[in-house]
Amino acid sequence: MGLLVYSLDIVVFIGIFAIVALSLNLEYGFTGLGNFGKVAFFLAGAYTYAIVMERTGIPFYLALIIAMLVSAGIGFLVSLPALRLREDYLAIVTLAIGEVLRLVVKTEDSLAHGVWGINVPPAIHWSGMSVLEMRMVNIGLVYFCLILCFILVQLMTRSPYGRVLRAIREDEVAAEALGKNRVKYKAQIFMLGSALAGLGGGLYAQYMQYINPYMFMPMVTFTVWIMVIVGGPANNRGVLIGAVLVTLFERGARIIKDYLLLPIDPINLQYILFGVLVIFLLAYRPQGLLKERQLETKAIEGVQQWKNRSSE
Amino acid sequence: MGVNWAQVLFNSAVTGSLYLIGAVGLTLSYGLSGFPNFAYAEFMTLGAYMGYFVVRQLGFDIYFAFIAAFLACGILGALAYRGVFRFLANRGANKIHLMIGSIALGFIIRHIIGDIWGWPPTTFGIIWPGFDIGPLRVTDLWLALIFTALFLAVIMHLLLTRTTTGKAIRGISSNPELALASGINIERVTLLTWAGGAALAGVAGLFWGAIASISPLLGWAMILPVFAVTILGGIGSFYGVLAAAFIIGLAENIGVVALTQLGLSTEYRMAIAFIILIVTLILRPQGLAKAFRRT
Repeated sequence: MGLLVYSLDIVVFIGIFAIVALSLNLEYGFTGLGNFGKVAFFLAGAYTYAIVMERTGIPFYLALIIAMLVSAGIGFLVSLPALRLREDYLAIVTLAIGEVLRLVVKTEDSLAHGVWGINVPPAIHWSGMSVLEMRMVNIGLVYFCLILCFILVQLMTRSPYGRVLRAIREDEVAAEALGKNRVKYKAQIFMLGSALAGLGGGLYAQYMQYINPYMFMPMVTFTVWIMVIVGGPANNRGVLIGAVLVTLFERGARIIKDYLLLPIDPINLQYILFGVLVIFLLAYRPQGLLKERQLETKAIEGVQQWKNRSSE
Repeated sequence: MGVNWAQVLFNSAVTGSLYLIGAVGLTLSYGLSGFPNFAYAEFMTLGAYMGYFVVRQLGFDIYFAFIAAFLACGILGALAYRGVFRFLANRGANKIHLMIGSIALGFIIRHIIGDIWGWPPTTFGIIWPGFDIGPLRVTDLWLALIFTALFLAVIMHLLLTRTTTGKAIRGISSNPELALASGINIERVTLLTWAGGAALAGVAGLFWGAIASISPLLGWAMILPVFAVTILGGIGSFYGVLAAAFIIGLAENIGVVALTQLGLSTEYRMAIAFIILIVTLILRPQGLAKAFRRT
């Protein structure tokens, strides 16, 4: 029983972070945008959901939609100064916005009770609900959202629109020369990515039922990046695998901390290993576990047939 | 309530000095290597903990702490460049890969420090008595910080204008291909810059640790103002950073006065650097650098 409930907890976390990792994959994997402040949009979604649910009595799905819209809006504002410039400016600005948003929710007590944190009502609840039922309901909700996000990202990136994104990632100037407004495309993707991260944040808040500013440290951003790098940038299935592996590893470290005596704190060790892993992956396998799949279009099929024929 | 403006100006000089020492290495290595090294925050943290190690654990004088911080961080900077960044770059890493690599390296260093010395904030246990000079309340530490920054400014000016290495740094920063074609040993100059910059970051971290408190998150807490200084100054420009450090120091200290008068929390001090960063990116992304003739 206890074990089952605990495993279901991990399953919920995998679902939530898979959504955030998919959003980063859309930005970094497909479009080449280095968003180093993913936690900012995750935080924006979580806090918007919490504040809206505390002050109004609207249904949870409307609150989730508002959370997504607020995150997208912040994403738009952040993208304004940085998207026209080189990628390192975007990295610095996104990293900074994560720190600033955390500062705001920490300092403004009237907004969400500052460091004391804010209680969040669960999305679906009935009286006499057991922990097991609670987790099952959350799995249903989170994985419903995850499947929608996965289908959305998958369809988008395999469409002509997705090919423009890859073109921008590979060669901005060439994409621009073909009449594609790169700033517009990047801003759209940045907003969509932020909205999905906001959805993840809202789901996280309602599942945890309590959030405080210390849950939104830069570690969250780093963890999501590892999921994408391990799984395979620009491969949505790979990123899901990455989310599973990284979450299991993270949970494993916490279990080890309770049951094993090591000369080094397992949670510290976990982040040290994550860091080493990232550096080695970047050096030896930057494409991750699953490689980016080749585009499937009529034109490429034609080229393949022509190649096969000429080699015969 | 009357504001002691002389004190505000003096505090600005203290803050500016700290940012100058902290940002000079970042901007020069950013200019040379073309990407921001986020692990730079951890160089500062290590500097502060070297101070803790020397003062609290070995029981030596704080002067030795500065030597230890300078050397340890210098070595770490050189190792980081050789072991991580040149390694990744040689294997074809792009700019985003290098930035992620720097964050990963930062996590490694931060958690090693956290594991060795623990996560709760601590101090050097040295009290710096304040004394008055005219209307100013000062401490030896603040004066030492300002003199160190002035000394650094003079040394850097001489280094960049009078020595071959300094000229090479400016040359590579403004035109790497031409520098290579002119026979400049880019590898050696970059390594020296990374090591020297990291050593200075260690000194800045030590000063900050002595003024406030030390924790494994010390460097991370300083990363926003230090990057704001770097961007406002113009990446790779020493003279830009010199001006930007004191501008942001002044803005923060005037900002704190304004925040107090407006009844807002002084925690927003950090947001001032962020606002300057954003405004710079919108109005003048190249920073102040072009206002100066050199670099």
